[in-house]
Parts: sequence; C-alpha cells; structure tokens
Amino acid sequence: MKVAIVRWRAAVPLMLFLALIVATWLLFADRVGRLAVERSGTAVLGARVDVRAFDISLLRGNVTISGFVAASPFDSLENLFEADRFVADLDLLPLLEKKVVIDRLAATGLRFGTARTTSGFVPSDGSGPTSQVLANARSWAAQPALQVPVLQIATGTLSIDSLDPRRLQTVAAAESLATRADSSARAWGDALESLDVQVTADSAAAFARRLQTAKPTDLGLINEARKMVDRVKQTRDRLTTLERGVRAGVGSLDGGLAALTSARQRDYAFARSLVRLPPIDASAIGWVLFGPAAVHRFQRALYYTQLGRAYMPPGLLPREQPGPKRTRRSGVSVEFPRERELPGFLLRDAELSFQLGADSAVPRRYAGRFRGLTSAPALYGRPTTLEASAPSVAIDAQFDHVRAPARDIAGGRVRDVMLPAIRLPSLPIRLAPGRGDVSLGFALYGDSIRGRWHVTAPAASWERDSGTAGGPAADLVWRVVSGISQLELTAELSGTIGQPALHVRSNLDQAVSDQLRAMVGEEVAAAEARVRAMVDRFADEQVAPVQAKVARVKAEVTERLQQQRQALDTAQQQIEQQIRRLTRGLRLP
Amino acid sequence: MVLLKLLQSLFKALHSEGTPGQVAAGIALGSILGLTPLFNLHNLAIAGLILLFNVSVPGALLGWAMFVPLGFALDPLFEALGRQLLLETPALVPLWTSLANIPVIPLTNFNNTVVLGSLVFSLLAVVPIWLGGRWAVRRYRETIGQRVQQSAWYRALTASRLYGVYRLFRPDT
Repeated sequence: MKVAIVRWRAAVPLMLFLALIVATWLLFADRVGRLAVERSGTAVLGARVDVRAFDISLLRGNVTISGFVAASPFDSLENLFEADRFVADLDLLPLLEKKVVIDRLAATGLRFGTARTTSGFVPSDGSGPTSQVLANARSWAAQPALQVPVLQIATGTLSIDSLDPRRLQTVAAAESLATRADSSARAWGDALESLDVQVTADSAAAFARRLQTAKPTDLGLINEARKMVDRVKQTRDRLTTLERGVRAGVGSLDGGLAALTSARQRDYAFARSLVRLPPIDASAIGWVLFGPAAVHRFQRALYYTQLGRAYMPPGLLPREQPGPKRTRRSGVSVEFPRERELPGFLLRDAELSFQLGADSAVPRRYAGRFRGLTSAPALYGRPTTLEASAPSVAIDAQFDHVRAPARDIAGGRVRDVMLPAIRLPSLPIRLAPGRGDVSLGFALYGDSIRGRWHVTAPAASWERDSGTAGGPAADLVWRVVSGISQLELTAELSGTIGQPALHVRSNLDQAVSDQLRAMVGEEVAAAEARVRAMVDRFADEQVAPVQAKVARVKAEVTERLQQQRQALDTAQQQIEQQIRRLTRGLRLP
Repeated sequence: MVLLKLLQSLFKALHSEGTPGQVAAGIALGSILGLTPLFNLHNLAIAGLILLFNVSVPGALLGWAMFVPLGFALDPLFEALGRQLLLETPALVPLWTSLANIPVIPLTNFNNTVVLGSLVFSLLAVVPIWLGGRWAVRRYRETIGQRVQQSAWYRALTASRLYGVYRLFRPDT
C-alpha cells in the first residue's frame, strides 16, 4: 500500500493558520511591544518602567512610545525621568536577525526627578546583571570609608575611656626608682662593710693608746705607728672613693625623682588623650553634614555607569545574559557579536528635548543629543556620547567601551534652577537651597573613580522639624545654620571603587565647628581636670613612698660615711699626736 | 478536560486509519514540541511539518502531551547540554556566530541554552522515538486494539466534537 507523503488538503488550513498568526500579530503587536519595552526596560534599569501607549508600524518602519515613565532605583516615589513621547525610525531588516537598530529617535518632553504616587521598586531575584550592579552600588556606599560618624556629632558629648594605672609611666618609674634605691642602699652598705673602716679606726685607736707608754728610743714602735697612719690614710682614700660613688648614686636617685615629674606630665598627656572629643574640625563638620547627600549622588552616578558597563561591555566575546522568563527554565541566552555586523541594539542618533525646573512657574526647555548607544560598542566603533548645551546648561558625557578598559566620563552644570532639599543626617534640619547652581562630574577609568559635586545657593533657607528631636547638637547646629543664607558646598571623590576617599567642605564648616568647640570647651576642661586628678591619685600612691625611701637612703649613707670618716680622722690624730710626742718634732729616717 | 482530550488523542492516534509508521512519525514530531520550549520559531516549523506531511496529527498531539512533562523534568539536562554547546565548546563558536548573524535564524532563540539543548536532544531522539512508537502501535493493534475500539466508553469518547476536527487531519492511507 502506497502512502502519500504530503497532505495537500491540509494546505488550506495551514494557510489559514499562518493567516491567523499574522492577524494576531497585527492585533496584538502594539501590546506585545509595550510589554517587551516595559519588561526589558525594567530588567535593565532595575526599577519599574511603564509605557502608556506603543505603536509600531512595520510599513513605515517607525515606533512611537507615549507616556514613558522610568522609576528611580533609589527612591521608590521618584521617577528617574518621564518622556511624553519617543518616536524611533527603525531599520527593518535587522529585525530579522533579532537586532534593534534605531537610526533616529526623537524624545520629547523629558522631565527628570518627578514624583510618583506608587512605588517604582521591583523585586529582584539577584541573578541578572542589574541586580548585581545595584547590590554592588549599595555595598559601595555602605563601606566604612563612606560612612558618616553621625552619632558623635549628633550627641556632641565627651567620653572618657577607663584609666588603667598600669599604663601610667609615673607608676612604673616610681616602682623602678624604689627598687634602685633599695639596691643602692644595699650596695653602699656592702661597700662600707668591705672597707673595714671601723676595724681600722679601732686598731689605730688601740695603737695610739700603746704609744702613750712608749719611749722615744723605741724606734720600732714608732715605725709601726707610721705604718698605721699610712693604713688609716689608705682606708680614708678608699672611703673617699666610695663617697664619690655614693654622691653619683644619690645624684642618679635625685634624677629618678625628677624623672617622676616628667613622667607625670606625660601621664597627664596620655590621660587627656582618653578624653574623646566629637569631630569638631571643620572638614569633619562638612563630612558629617553633607557626606550622605554626596555619597548618594556619587552612588547613583556609579550605578548608572556600572549599568552601562554591564550592558555595553567592551570586546567581542560571547556574552551571557539571563534567558526570557517562562514556565520552562529560563536558561542563559548568549550573544555572539561578529565584526562588521550590526550589534544587537543600536541607537545611532537621538534628539532629546527636555525640561528643567518643571516645578517652577515657567519650566525651561532644552535640547540635547545622544549618539551611539549600543549593546556592542566594539562593533559600533565609537564611544557613546551625550551633549546638551544652552546658556545655563552644559551636559557632556562620553562612555568609551570600544575597548577595555572602559572609560566613562560625565559632567553637567545647571545654573539658576530649583535645587532639591538636603536633609542633614540624624538632625531634624532640612536645607532648602532654593534657586542656585549645581554641577556634578564623574569619571570612571577602569577601576579608578573621580567625582565632584558642587552646589552654590545664594538664598538658601533652613527648615526644622517640630519638636525637640536631635538634642543639644541639633539646637547648636540650628543656631548656627539658621542665620546663614548662602551655601557653598563641594564634595570630591577620589581613589578606586574598592578604596574611595571622599572630602566634603562647605561654608558652614568653620561656623559650626567654632560653635561646637566653644560648647565642648568647658566640658573638655572639666574632663581633663578629672583625668588629671585620677593620674595624681594613682601616681601619689607610688611616688610619695619612693621619695621618702630615697631621702632615707641618702640620709643613712651620708651619716654612715661621716661617722666612718670621723672615726678614721680621730684615730689618725691620736697616733700622729703620740708620734710627735715621741720624736719631739724631729724627723727620723 | 485536559485529561479527556489527552485520552481522546491517545485512542484516536492508536485507532486511526494511519499506519503505525504515520502515527509514530506524528508522535516523534510532537515530541519535539513537547521537549522544547513551545513559543519558538522552530516549533512553528514543526507544526507546519505536522500539518503538511501525511503524519498522524493525533499522534503528534499525543507525542506533544507525552513529552511536555518530560521536557520540564529534563530542563536541567537541556540547560547543561546547551551550555556545553554554546559556551564551553570553542570550536562551535564560529558556527553560532554565523547563525546569529543570518536573518530569521536568531528568531529561533537557538542562542538560549535550554532551547538549544532541548532541540538537539529532541532531534537526536526523533528516530528512536519513531522506531519505538511504530513498534508499540503495531503491538497495540495486534493485541487489545480491536476490543478497545468496540467498547462503549471508547464510542462515547470519540463522539465528541473534537473527533470531527480530527477527521480533517487524519492520515490518508
């Protein structure tokens, strides 16, 4: 039995099936496109992206997106930007390669930082590049180098660490001196004993008594008397030598006593170091007041730059990205860019029309241009650029991911616009800068990071929340800042992503630090007096006994030396007197 | 309802006028639909083949229904296979790069690890499934097929409207 291979009668239903697919596309393409833009935009940005209307015309090759709203990934009730309309001219043929190439895009009615009524945050599964970039940006801002010592300035109180007497130099020196005094006393006593001064003196005195009964002709005895005198002299010489040693030793002990005074001065300094002060130097004040706001700005800049690097990587290696969400496992989709081919996404040229000062009575419109936004910069071959210039606005950015390492630099300056409020950390005080100038520069070369944020507000005002929250520090800061109507603020970021350094300064720094210093000055003096008294108490317990011991040792050794010398002198005089009596002044050989 | 349709597919395939080879071919093509993620361009082509070629459409539906759970279960294997082919076999990168830059081909989502892994697996399994299916259908018809066809519940099952649609696509013998 022969079986036909092709079922020709099914050709008509097949055609109908294909026609059904085409009809479905025509009916639902706009809806599918809107969902695709919302989903992909949300996935890339890391915050909710909404589109009011999406209209695609493959015949004309253009797409119109109306009511585009991109939420901020950092503030749930703020939009990153809104756009009234995007009109894009699409290249149609690349669509067959699943590539989106937009020759020209016109964006009108762009507004930045507008408020929203519902949260723009989206739950993150942590697997996509955006989730990782967001996590990196958050951990970057949370590292210790960028944390503000809020509590110290907020409380403004002093604290004194415990004073351990074992760490006082006076105590150690006193104990050492006491030991030295004891050993010196023992050494001197032993030395005196070894001289046998008393024995010599007693022998000489006894010999003198023998001489009283001697005759002038007793020449042998007279010679022995002279030898005794020499022995006494030798003993006295040794005693003199010992006296010199004792004087040196006593001088050393006196030096030790003087050193105790110096040690006490050092202990005073050490104790003062235990008095921990709040950061009242001017640079610390700037950091405390405006550090979080600066970190917030730079964190955002870092996030968007890193996001660009994640989705616009340099090089032509295959790139992984999470597969589409579906009931089945998503897997990983891999891009295979090839030289001289089109990238997966390319926006050649975009004209931007945006508003600044949307919340003012007369918002101003500006124009800018965005070129070369692509998923494969190496294929496009040129950096992505953004520029907008007007008399009061200058924005320039260049994202060079053509080859590694990526080099990103962006800067903008806007003059005479309403500046957003800045809340002082841990204080119930808010700065409303009013109209002013603001500039932000940010550069990321490989891992090296540079940033500068500058705000000038000539008519700033301050608002304090009701109540007495914040304590004395808040009162003090409020007293200082509420009288200042001009703000000059500069924050500079340097270093690497892993080891950033942030310096913040403002015209408020010196004023606040002077006030703080005055406030804590009295407390500092009292605290220092307390720790000085503690040092004295610990030191006196050790020093007074040592001083007494040294004095006693000195007195004892001096007295003993005098007694010994006196005994020798007396004995010598007695012998010499008897010798003179026996010889009647004659000098015998 | 789904179970009912599955049963209808099963018995209509087994008792259709098609030869065991036609039924098995339908099952084999339907297995591709079941093993790979459905909404991809290659499945449109497979559906076209099922309709156009003289294979058993109920067999294809049966194959699809049978292999969908298997597809879910084997997704980790498919992903590993796809990853191996797409990312861990440098010799194949030029091939993927070429395919990725040929019009229409990228619309198949072949560059997705699960899609590629499941497609390669299902293409490799087509012939064994066809051979096994043909043997199983033949054995069924030789043994219990006649009795099942004469049972009251089978007649009730085939009396539904779906059977009329099926007859439009039944294989020509």
